[in-house]
Amino acid sequence: MWRMILLAGGHGLGWVLVYAGYVKVRLPWISFAATIEAYKLLPADAVVFVARTLPWFELTLGALLVLTSMAAGASYGYSYFRRSVIAAWAAKGNMMALAALSAVASALLLTFFAILVRSFVLGMDIDCGCFGPGEKLSLRTLVRDGLLAGLSLAVTAGAVHRSRSQTVGSPAG
Amino acid sequence: MTKQTEFEVVLYLLISVLSCGGAAGQGKTATKGPADPPAVKSFGSKGAPITMEVFSDFQCPACRTLFLDTIRPVMQNYVSAGKVYFIHRDMPLPVHPYSREAARYANAAAKLGKLEQVAEALYERQAVWSASGNVDAVVATVLSPVEMTRVRQFIKSGKLDAGIDKDVAMANSQMVKSTPTIILTHKGQTFPIVGVVSYPILRQFLEEQLRK
Repeated sequence: MWRMILLAGGHGLGWVLVYAGYVKVRLPWISFAATIEAYKLLPADAVVFVARTLPWFELTLGALLVLTSMAAGASYGYSYFRRSVIAAWAAKGNMMALAALSAVASALLLTFFAILVRSFVLGMDIDCGCFGPGEKLSLRTLVRDGLLAGLSLAVTAGAVHRSRSQTVGSPAG
Repeated sequence: MTKQTEFEVVLYLLISVLSCGGAAGQGKTATKGPADPPAVKSFGSKGAPITMEVFSDFQCPACRTLFLDTIRPVMQNYVSAGKVYFIHRDMPLPVHPYSREAARYANAAAKLGKLEQVAEALYERQAVWSASGNVDAVVATVLSPVEMTRVRQFIKSGKLDAGIDKDVAMANSQMVKSTPTIILTHKGQTFPIVGVVSYPILRQFLEEQLRK
């Protein structure tokens, strides 16, 4: 049961990142650069670099999370019905990959959340930029991003726990 | 010089003087112009490779930052050089009590070809008229008394709102929701920029587009 919730969490988190990246990739980089610049944290060159690379990073990370959680689900399903060492290794490997990817996502989302909290506390009247332009930074966006960061941390903790607790040799159970 | 040549020179000079007088006369007529000239809210060459439309509200602080820090250097370095065709669009937001009044003054000044000067004055002294509501006094600092009389006449006529509303309708049709919003067009592609973008970043983007 917990494994299913964990994999569903990783899958959902992946799609959220895919969507966040896709929305930004569709727009010209300068559109996202204007949003980043409004936070007044980075110099112009760094703003351009982040605006050009971050959407692709989000998209790739999200896609990998989706694929890894799917692969983890499939390998666990296989090892449950066919008790083989290879299937158990695959399940463990996928869970470790999920742990690593969700750890990167957690670091990213926690950074975003910290920046949002700072800007909100400073009373900055700016766009959140989380899912493209046109959405103002508000308590709602703050709570949403906090929940996402929380979900990511929970997936990371769960995946680390599962990958450690599972011994190869005995099938996943 | 023969007598015939002297006569030709005198005739030429006479024709030149008369034609100059005629041109001057035409110039005067052109200066007087029609009673209600159309507002000129664009700058630069229409044939410029990039078109830059800016939807702004004179009372919005972010629009002030964009105008003073970004638009001014763009005007100097890209519009004057024929690389960018700049179009000003009014989008007075209802939350700002004097922004429509400021837009009326700007549109009236545009009819006299003085939009840039008035826009600059409105943005530079935004805090002053935003507090007092006295837009007229700020505009009067950059226009001559004759021009101010004409601007006040245009405003009194009540015809300026139609032009402002047309810009607002255009903003709605282009899904512009907030100010400032820049819409860049290059080779049929449009690039929306919501909010303030600094000149160094915009310059990088413009150069990138111009290289394409």
